[in-house]
Amino acid sequence: MDSADRPSRSAPQGRELVPVLRAVANGDRTALSVLYSRTSSKLYGICSRLLDNQAEAEDVLQEVYMTVWGKAGSFDEHKASPVTWLAVIARNKAIDRLRLRRTGTETLDAAQDVADDSASAIELIERDQDSRRLANCLDELEERQQLCIRAAFLDGASYPQLAERQGVPLGTMKSWIRRGLLRLKGCLEQ
Amino acid sequence: MTLPPISTDEREQLAAELALGVLQGEDLVRARSLYAADTQFRSSVGEWLGRFAPLLEEVEPVEPGPQVWPSIERRLGAPAAANDNVQSIRRKLSLWRGIAVGASALAASLAVVVLTRAPEVAPPFAAQAPPSMVAMLGDERTGGLLVASWQPAQNSLRLSAATPLPGDPAHSHELWVIPADGTPRSLGTLATAAKMQMRVDRQLSRQLQEGATLAVSVEPVGGSPTGLPTGPVIASGKLERA
Repeated sequence: MDSADRPSRSAPQGRELVPVLRAVANGDRTALSVLYSRTSSKLYGICSRLLDNQAEAEDVLQEVYMTVWGKAGSFDEHKASPVTWLAVIARNKAIDRLRLRRTGTETLDAAQDVADDSASAIELIERDQDSRRLANCLDELEERQQLCIRAAFLDGASYPQLAERQGVPLGTMKSWIRRGLLRLKGCLEQ
Repeated sequence: MTLPPISTDEREQLAAELALGVLQGEDLVRARSLYAADTQFRSSVGEWLGRFAPLLEEVEPVEPGPQVWPSIERRLGAPAAANDNVQSIRRKLSLWRGIAVGASALAASLAVVVLTRAPEVAPPFAAQAPPSMVAMLGDERTGGLLVASWQPAQNSLRLSAATPLPGDPAHSHELWVIPADGTPRSLGTLATAAKMQMRVDRQLSRQLQEGATLAVSVEPVGGSPTGLPTGPVIASGKLERA
């Protein structure tokens, strides 16, 4: 889809950070410091909510900006707004850190190997959805589905953790979430 | 490791689960290897992340500790003008701190951000290492266009454009500095590339002070024939300490 199809997307969402990210991609440290001062409290908010530990959250925040320093060239303003792109990187990094904490070392090693390969790309595609639309579609789900999807994305809860919290078997939890995701997609695509 | 083939529906489901962050163990490994190997799968994950991303808007911003930025700087390697850096960035941080990062606040155009900020008075005596400066050149209509950063220690003026400047064989883009006396001085014409770096004549570099305006005008090929801007200004912004 051409970006010109959806001009409404680009205008209101922090466009002024687009050239800043471009400058970061060109290796401009000053631009990185500007980006940090504009976005670090938002990104730190995300890290600290997920990790609930100051030292770890600050450590992950550092990693986020190191990643941005290295990968700013892969930011595509036609696919996502700068703030959303940054927020998703922070959220994904924090989730990775959570996994480090809780995964058994055996599976972790295997997962890490693959993670290193895939780290070369940060894929994020925003369509026209906004927060109100997402909220409306989440509201159409069963309450427990909504609750679990939010807990997974915002607090980093995994399938086993969600199953335990809700007191249901793992298989039941998986099918709740999967049904919820299907419905969510259908609603957002309407 | 060979993985059994999976159906389109299964893939879509796995992409959603990877984006949501619920997977563990074998499923996670499987999803990640697909992500690494398969661009279509990567796009599906990207679309799911885009669907969930608005949830992040509700997370409250929290100020990180003051030592985080210096740590990042250390990891980047020793900066060239180390003297001034930490302090200048602190100053910058305190300036920007008041600006909320919520989407609505970010909607405020660059011009507004620059205008509402209290001007800082330049120190009467230049410090040993002149401070780095940055200017965001934009207009209210399009938001940011160019970021200029001036490193006096390296005599390097770098420009990065959000999009390459529109190529027009009949015209050139000329960069100007307009210091406190209000008289524009040409810094040269700009290439159409998205990034460029230029050296500045020593005499002229004294004009690159905090508060001076940088502007880009449209001129005949090769630059203004009069030594002053003759065409429309398409972007401008003030230099600030980095």
